[in-house]
Amino acid sequence: MNLVTIFISAGTMLGLAVIFSYILGWANNAFRVEIDPRAEAAMEVLPGANCGGCSYVGCGDYAVAVAAGEAPVNLCVVGGPTCAAELAAIMGVELGETFPNYAIVHCGAHSEDRLHRSEYLGEQSCFTANLVKSIQGCVYGCLGFGDCVEACNYDAIQVIDGLATVDYEKCIGCGACAKACPRNIISINPFEKNSILVVKCANHDAGKAVKGVCKTGCIGCKACAKVSSTFTITDNLSVIDYDKYIQADTEEIDKAVKKCPVKCLGFAGKP
Amino acid sequence: MSYLTDIFLIALGAALINNFVLYYFVGICPFVGVSRRVEMAFGMGCAVTFVMTIAAFLCWILTTFVLMPGAPLSKWVAGFFVSADVAAGIDLTILSYIVYIFVIASSVQFVEMYVRKFFPVLYSSFGVFLPLITTNCAILFACLMIMSNIVGVDNPADAWDLGRALTLAIFGGVGFIIAIVIMAGIREDLELCDIPKPFQGVAITLIVGGILAMAFMGFTGVDSGLRNAMIPM
Repeated sequence: MNLVTIFISAGTMLGLAVIFSYILGWANNAFRVEIDPRAEAAMEVLPGANCGGCSYVGCGDYAVAVAAGEAPVNLCVVGGPTCAAELAAIMGVELGETFPNYAIVHCGAHSEDRLHRSEYLGEQSCFTANLVKSIQGCVYGCLGFGDCVEACNYDAIQVIDGLATVDYEKCIGCGACAKACPRNIISINPFEKNSILVVKCANHDAGKAVKGVCKTGCIGCKACAKVSSTFTITDNLSVIDYDKYIQADTEEIDKAVKKCPVKCLGFAGKP
Repeated sequence: MSYLTDIFLIALGAALINNFVLYYFVGICPFVGVSRRVEMAFGMGCAVTFVMTIAAFLCWILTTFVLMPGAPLSKWVAGFFVSADVAAGIDLTILSYIVYIFVIASSVQFVEMYVRKFFPVLYSSFGVFLPLITTNCAILFACLMIMSNIVGVDNPADAWDLGRALTLAIFGGVGFIIAIVIMAGIREDLELCDIPKPFQGVAITLIVGGILAMAFMGFTGVDSGLRNAMIPM
């Protein structure tokens, strides 16, 4: 290898680089794709968390769908109302009243409230513990191994005293915890008030069986239903009709909460 | 051997007998990655064929005129600095890999812009795989094969011309399409099969690919048989 070879090699690479960059630069202008400017603007506004809470693959897909008018502007749970308002401004549409979604845990039993049948020594996860029957009396309630804690990307759920507890300051309502819970006791609900009434039980068994396994389980006694029409008893479990609850008299609700003999009605949400 | 016979044997060899994927095992990543649906696999195969042809064209030109020992362009440039017989000995084949990768990467960029503009559906279904053609070793392999048939031959008259190089690239691409489309067809049916859990996904795909390669081993020796039949000894 001599000096001339080295110089010619360098010159060859330099020449190729110049030629190809010229061709690519020309192609970049000639084949420019026109993207809907509203989609780009929507992409700027969206938080970029790609959480999938809007049921689109990512923020990019949702931005394109919004710009095409295929998706409503208020689906983003991470961005919340401010993001929805900005998207509405970009699209020039009227924004209806929206409420934030938060997770609700339908179980109120802390460790000492439950009947523990036998000690569970297996894999410390709700998913596997759920496969083993009767490690605790109640087969509907929280297992407390924290699959939901692991699923949450926002550090918004903690297991306190054996019960999953949502931190409503951090919860964005993405629904990851609801998917992770093998007993399906977490639901995502719109919060029309800062804190709303929740039935903290998911046990569908008859009252006597519930009493045997849990101190705070709903026994389907209809005490609440007698006080207010907001409550109905289906499958031995009290269910709140949230449409009626919003309009219902606060005193009536308070009375129903006090009437509950097992105290399984409680408030959830920001104080 | 006539020119057309040679072209025919190169084409048949690249497409079936020495299939890039199933004989040399290059270009496995798109073969496994983009063979879920037949139409996607066909699109990927067409893209690879297209890039391979462009790359082979540029690679043949660069090798013949710039890179090989005594190439006219480098000889001419070197002639300004050194005497003619030294200039004739300038050998730039050390640059071959870097130049080919450079050429392939640039042409992939070009194809990507082109597809994005004119075939948006194809573009969105390719996703990450279109840029991945850049690192598709099948294309570099085709370029290196062409180079070895230009630089490595003893008799300069035997060196491949542009027609032979393009034949190898186009029919190598056709062989790639054949392999990936057969694979995609099998995989579409595999989704309906009751596969044991440990074999599901990539595992069964690799096993199927291996069996497919064994099936293509049946073509081994066809080219030498044809060669003997065409040129009476």
